[in-house]
Amino acid sequence: MSSSTKFLTLKTCDDKKFVLDEAIAVRSQTIKNMVEDDCVSNVIPLPNVNSKTMTKVIEYWKKHSEEGVSKDVLMDFDKAFVKVHHSILHALILAANFLNDKEILDMMCQEVADRIKGKTPEEIRKEFDIKNDFTPEEEEEIRKENAWAFE
Amino acid sequence: MKSEASHRRPKGWELRKGTEIPSKDSMGSLPEELIIAILVRVPVKYLLQFKCVSKYWFNLISSPEFVKTHLSFSAKDYTRHISLLQLDTQYTNIKYCSVSSLFHNSVNEALDLDCPMNNPPQCLYILGSVNGLVCLSDGFDGLVIWNPSIRKFNKVFDYVPTQIHECWSIYGFGYDEVHHDYKHRHCWGITSIDLVDEKWGKVELPSDNKEGGLKLGLLGSDLSVLCNNDERTHSDVWVMKEYGVKASWTKLYTITYPENYNLSPPLFMYNKGEILLAFKSTFAIYNPKNDSITYPEVPNVEVTSIYEYMDVELCIERLVCPDLPNED
Repeated sequence: MSSSTKFLTLKTCDDKKFVLDEAIAVRSQTIKNMVEDDCVSNVIPLPNVNSKTMTKVIEYWKKHSEEGVSKDVLMDFDKAFVKVHHSILHALILAANFLNDKEILDMMCQEVADRIKGKTPEEIRKEFDIKNDFTPEEEEEIRKENAWAFE
Repeated sequence: MKSEASHRRPKGWELRKGTEIPSKDSMGSLPEELIIAILVRVPVKYLLQFKCVSKYWFNLISSPEFVKTHLSFSAKDYTRHISLLQLDTQYTNIKYCSVSSLFHNSVNEALDLDCPMNNPPQCLYILGSVNGLVCLSDGFDGLVIWNPSIRKFNKVFDYVPTQIHECWSIYGFGYDEVHHDYKHRHCWGITSIDLVDEKWGKVELPSDNKEGGLKLGLLGSDLSVLCNNDERTHSDVWVMKEYGVKASWTKLYTITYPENYNLSPPLFMYNKGEILLAFKSTFAIYNPKNDSITYPEVPNVEVTSIYEYMDVELCIERLVCPDLPNED
């Protein structure tokens, strides 16, 4: 790193501060836009991201910014990275969306999609915190219409 | 299960745009754009199950915008393509297996699809398939547009282009009508009909081919043509990258016949290299890099006679209901 390395301070919604190399932080398009528009003061607030989620995001950014890291190593890293509870996956999706990091967003959405294949509607409701607003009759009618898909 | 696509969908609670705002509880913890980003990556079969999750999810999965986005994801994903196969038009049985399992030579068995007609006809012809919709004919006047991914069909009686010229799904049939027509005429040149203005036109061929044989196909969304050479020892396969532009014909590969010239045009290209095609009554995977052909096994599809030919059609997974003409 040259002496011109700049650092940014990111502040999450739970008031934790993260000091990060600007070159890494601009993996977030949102932060990049702020830096380019010159509207970065001392601290960048991230009102939608908590420190636990931000720690994960920074872990990903640092690994993927390492010099000379091989594709295989990154693939293994990614595989391990997505092995978290679904609540963390959802938090990472929201954070990646806010930070506008398409790479993390795509990877997380794919992971959630892979996991929900084969889950029952009831399991989906639980995972996504959704209230079932169908009457039992209505639900039965939809099931009947696509009965083969439930086999 | 099979059902005709007209009398479906419980009414009453269906959202009409602007008349009802879905309750937050029915949406869940993620905003709509992110739910969509997840669900476009889920195969059709599971989405049909997820219609039960809530009214909000039902309407989202049924919406034309979502159906369209989902299709564009399917088009890039070879695990979301199936091969339909039919060994004999005298039987109305159509089987299918996934394209990815063919490339990995991991087909356990080809599964049966119910004949999508209430009164199974004596014969059934697959006329063609475009973007997830398959056109079937009973050999007389019965035509059916069928989406095997959702097991729904719609009858098209007395095919008259003026009545259906706006119907997107007919594009596929229209294309294959040309294909079908062409096969019977064996003339040089490709005749096309534009179903919107019903004008006949000509599509110029990539080169001045002499007598030898020509087969039309569709690779992804590009028109393809397989041209036999005079001696019938090999064929050139071309794709037209930009429809109607002669200069856009690109030679994909030249293939040497294994034993005779009954090769199909390319069905699917995997990883910008290997090509899935049909050869007589088997599938074949051709690798242009080393000019090799391998034959993926489909254990329960047996060839009983050397005269038997398999009719193969490639079909992309798609949520669209065949009765919604203005879907895209």
